[in-house]
Amino acid sequence: MSAMADTIQAENRKGFLVDTSRCIGCRSCQVACKQWNKLAADQTEKLGTFDDSRDLTPSLYNRIRFTEGTASTGELTWRFLNERCMHCGDAGCMKVCPSPGALYRTSDGIVAYNKEKCISCKYCVSACPFNIPRYDADDKVSKCHLCLNRVGGGMAPACAKACPTESLTFGKRSDLIARAKAAGKTLYGELDLNGLGVVYALEGPPEQYGLPLKPAIPLSIFIWKDIVKPLGILGFWGSMGAILLHYVTIGPKKIEEEQDEEGGAP
Amino acid sequence: MSSKYIERFNTSERVLHWFVTVTFFTLLLSGLGLYSRLFTGYFNLFGNGHNAIWIHKAAGVLFFLSSLFFFWHNRRRMTDFNRDDAEWIRQAGGYLSKEEVHLKVGKFNAGQKIFGVFIGVATLILGVTGLFIWMPELFPRWIVQLSLMLHGLLFVGSIMFVLIHVYLGTIGNPGTAEAMLWGKVTRPWARHHHPKWYKEVGKDP
Repeated sequence: MSAMADTIQAENRKGFLVDTSRCIGCRSCQVACKQWNKLAADQTEKLGTFDDSRDLTPSLYNRIRFTEGTASTGELTWRFLNERCMHCGDAGCMKVCPSPGALYRTSDGIVAYNKEKCISCKYCVSACPFNIPRYDADDKVSKCHLCLNRVGGGMAPACAKACPTESLTFGKRSDLIARAKAAGKTLYGELDLNGLGVVYALEGPPEQYGLPLKPAIPLSIFIWKDIVKPLGILGFWGSMGAILLHYVTIGPKKIEEEQDEEGGAP
Repeated sequence: MSSKYIERFNTSERVLHWFVTVTFFTLLLSGLGLYSRLFTGYFNLFGNGHNAIWIHKAAGVLFFLSSLFFFWHNRRRMTDFNRDDAEWIRQAGGYLSKEEVHLKVGKFNAGQKIFGVFIGVATLILGVTGLFIWMPELFPRWIVQLSLMLHGLLFVGSIMFVLIHVYLGTIGNPGTAEAMLWGKVTRPWARHHHPKWYKEVGKDP
């Protein structure tokens, strides 16, 4: 089982640092992503807010989520958050994916995918702590793959390249975290889920951005994979063993032959 | 001289039983690869994982309907738990010792009733959770997450029950498998294992 465990090398790990204080909500990241990944336009709807693409779609790998709210002090808050696959160190999607190679981790720590190996079970949709994976028209998984073809060539992902304010910076994860800490930032996602590949420097509490306070693999998914699965295998072989033991110790219930002669009703 | 054999299961009951059996094992083989990556190799039986999922869905529908119908057919005899069943459970059906025990058993003993009720309930829950897992985008995420867990849990329970069922129905009780194969059991078998039932049906016309 250890061979299948999701292993990540912290020293090679690359990721994003998203400094929300610098984000101006221009959505260059969205546009650059669409352009580089040749993703079709989504029909959007004017709903009277900036948040016109209301959710991630199979052809929208990242977006700016605008969240309005009122802080406990009574102050009005308006938060911009770059929402996307977090490339979790302990990735729920990879934990549940039954098709080897459909979701995989690169040496940079990216949670990448191969649509040809995706078998359309959609387990990743349910197991993601952030509700990120979507399914395309071919019923295959679709999400941010951190421009692994660019990163592999030593370039920054399209979104980070396009960000005009350097709110979205890409690089060696440990360097980005060290730099942000030196600048006195409070970080989100440094340690959760074995470290997120996208670490945020937020200006307020996570809930103002619509982020879970303590992101975790959903409880049912944890029970399914870490308790039911191993106990099930144990239960199967335990039953087999018990049956075999019963057969050789107590043995089968044989019917006395002489009763056979009586025939008829008792 | 009366016939040596008496009928235990009629033809349609036997066909139904084997239909449920075949769909169950199809579900088992097509679902193993979905249960854990340890069993990915089982996908090869169906070509690939994608096919295995489709076979699993088709077999799931057939199992759901046939298993529930099977339970419905036996619902009275499967759910009439009584004092004799309590005694059967107290003595674990006599299976835990070599001593011969004489228990008052009707057509089905308490163990068979528990198995029948479990599989009936499990079929219902496996079917409903299977539907949620089949179309996760139509239901709240927590329902699908819970379904994935319950589907796995009930599969585990079912396979353990089925193992014991197969053992007790074959080598554990010689003469029993015949009831499900060609429908007839010997009189001594019926008198020994199901004396109350034998009193009902064993008399010659």
